[in-house]
Amino acid sequence: MLRDIIKKEILDNITSPKFVFTFLLCTILILLSIYTGVTNYRAEKKEYTAALALNKKNLESQPNYQSLAGIGVKVSKPPQVLGTVVTGIEEAVGRVAPVNIAADPNLIESKYSSNPVFAVFGSLDLMFIVKIVLSLFAILFTYDAIVGEKEKGTLKLALSNDVPRDRLILGKAIGGYISLLLPLLIPLVLGLLILVITPDISLGGQDWARLLLIFLMFFLYLSVFFSLGLFVSARTSRSSTSFLVLLFVWVVFVMVIPKVAVIAAGQIRPIPSVHEITAKKDAFLQQIQSGAQKGVLDWIKKNAPDAQKDPKAYQGKFQQFIQDYQQDLTSKIDENNAALERDYQQMKRAQQNLAVNLSRISPASALTFGSMTLARTGVDDFDRFLASVRAYKPIYTKWVNSKLGQSINFQTGETAQIKLDDMPQHVYEPQWLSRSLARTIPDFALLAVMIIVFFVGAYVSFLRYDVR
Amino acid sequence: MLETINLTKRYEDGELALDGLTFKVEPGEIFCMFGANGAGKTTTINLFLNFIPPTSGTALIEGIDVAKEPLKAKRHVSFVSENVTLYGNFSAIQNLDYFSKLAGKRNLTKKDYAAVLERVGLQKEAFDRRVKNFSKGMRQKLGIAIAVVKDAANVLLDEPTSGLDPQSGREFLEILVQMRDTGKSVFMSTHDIFRAKLIADRIGFMRKGRLVMLKTAKELANEDLTDLYIQYMEEQPGQAVPPAAASA
Repeated sequence: MLRDIIKKEILDNITSPKFVFTFLLCTILILLSIYTGVTNYRAEKKEYTAALALNKKNLESQPNYQSLAGIGVKVSKPPQVLGTVVTGIEEAVGRVAPVNIAADPNLIESKYSSNPVFAVFGSLDLMFIVKIVLSLFAILFTYDAIVGEKEKGTLKLALSNDVPRDRLILGKAIGGYISLLLPLLIPLVLGLLILVITPDISLGGQDWARLLLIFLMFFLYLSVFFSLGLFVSARTSRSSTSFLVLLFVWVVFVMVIPKVAVIAAGQIRPIPSVHEITAKKDAFLQQIQSGAQKGVLDWIKKNAPDAQKDPKAYQGKFQQFIQDYQQDLTSKIDENNAALERDYQQMKRAQQNLAVNLSRISPASALTFGSMTLARTGVDDFDRFLASVRAYKPIYTKWVNSKLGQSINFQTGETAQIKLDDMPQHVYEPQWLSRSLARTIPDFALLAVMIIVFFVGAYVSFLRYDVR
Repeated sequence: MLETINLTKRYEDGELALDGLTFKVEPGEIFCMFGANGAGKTTTINLFLNFIPPTSGTALIEGIDVAKEPLKAKRHVSFVSENVTLYGNFSAIQNLDYFSKLAGKRNLTKKDYAAVLERVGLQKEAFDRRVKNFSKGMRQKLGIAIAVVKDAANVLLDEPTSGLDPQSGREFLEILVQMRDTGKSVFMSTHDIFRAKLIADRIGFMRKGRLVMLKTAKELANEDLTDLYIQYMEEQPGQAVPPAAASA
């Protein structure tokens, strides 16, 4: 009997115009999103390679270490291959972090800042389509699952037989879910094929595992709205009411809660603005710079007699002084900046965590944060990248300072040619799958809990449903 | 056999929909129940199908208490409702196939379905057409075909002739007579006095949840049913038919 109910449900759905409409729209949107993702990724990869080469060329072309210390190096964030399905914040946040002895590294040159028109429309990635469009389809498939049958009179007719209600709702749920997945699976498989056959896109074992987990999250997210649809359908006596209620809940879940959570977190845990932090850093830098000149002059005055006695020894002593003094000053700047940054990041993280946790009441937020973490395109990934750049900065400044001191010839006034062979390189280790998975467990758990709650609600409601 | 004993239903809002209803529909009998809207006819059917629980009293199908063993009782009853639109995207055969399987008839072929549809008077060219393009009469015939296929010993019909054209109405009555002739107990709630008079073995009138009149076809042979209907539907201190008489 269960098989008959499932079969009927699938047949009823796939012969309906909504199925054809859903299938067509899913195919167009999913393939378009993956095509867009692939095109963007290839462009970003090209840009990244070009940026690395340009940076190297730029460094090599510097006449001396002084100018090298001035311009510094530019560390670029490599594009993530899974950004093809979950763009995350990749386009909104900068992809390059300049590292020099003075300023504290920060991410600049985002896609949106270089071309603001992209920000107007946002990105059309697969996650966006699942979050907005497919969740609406899940509602479209379920809003009249129970109440619609009541209106048609078929529920009375079915239950006039010895059909247990639990079997009927189970059959309807399974059949309905299969019907919803059908128009989704075919374009998804086609999309995966595009990913596989596109040159420049290579998915490693970990990427495949991540991709499968992202897809699992998509299905769980759709299941939340599917079971919610069943629940509301089993609690209402008119399909128009059911649709309106579901639309309202959808807007609250997808649009309102994520935005309100961020605003609420900002109110509950306020943090200073980036400008305030930058102003504090700049003030300290100014203070150090004004003291630096005086320090050098004092040293020269103090050691002037030595310059007459033994100029060669004096030059060596001066080089050592400059190197130590420069290192001391940059260490002070770094320490101050690091302390300010540490406090700021701590406050920011607390605010972010609060916003994330508050917004997790919404399945849309759980999907957003979870899939971005799995695709390595979320806030975490950028924080990790920036942290790695900040950890690299003292290593770089130490190297460049040592070169600065050694490169000045006080007798001839010449400076040494730069050599980059021993320049320390920035290393960025992307987050491991196990760590990403651990971070997404709350999101998976929340989605699973919502599915269970809504389905049990639908089940219990249907057992007591007034079929008249 | 269909039977109610002191069946009473009071809804949550306090409305008394059925008030100690007692009657019996014997095998091979067509029992037509009249009554104004809200008299309790549909409530009686809903209680037979366990769609609502009784406040007190018992509804029995083949001697099985519906409230206690609903699934077992429902095996012995077919139901034809007033406004069933069925699955619009399915053909007549597909609808029939689904409901037959729910009724436990698993071994029927397309030929069997076609025979039943032909029997209820549906045109052959409509068998494979989508039901959403059917007229009300055609859908009603399909509803009857679903009841025929189940082949239960008892049939409940909730105002089944409303909206049927004269030809369809006549064909429908023929099917009910065939059902009676094969020993089925048929309970029909209706407003259709003329059609009911043609086939009913007994006729009951309900008012405010009570059975206020019960007569056999013979007793009604020389009576004007319209006058009787109006007379019994008018507000008057109705006296319920004694249980013994109702069960006779």
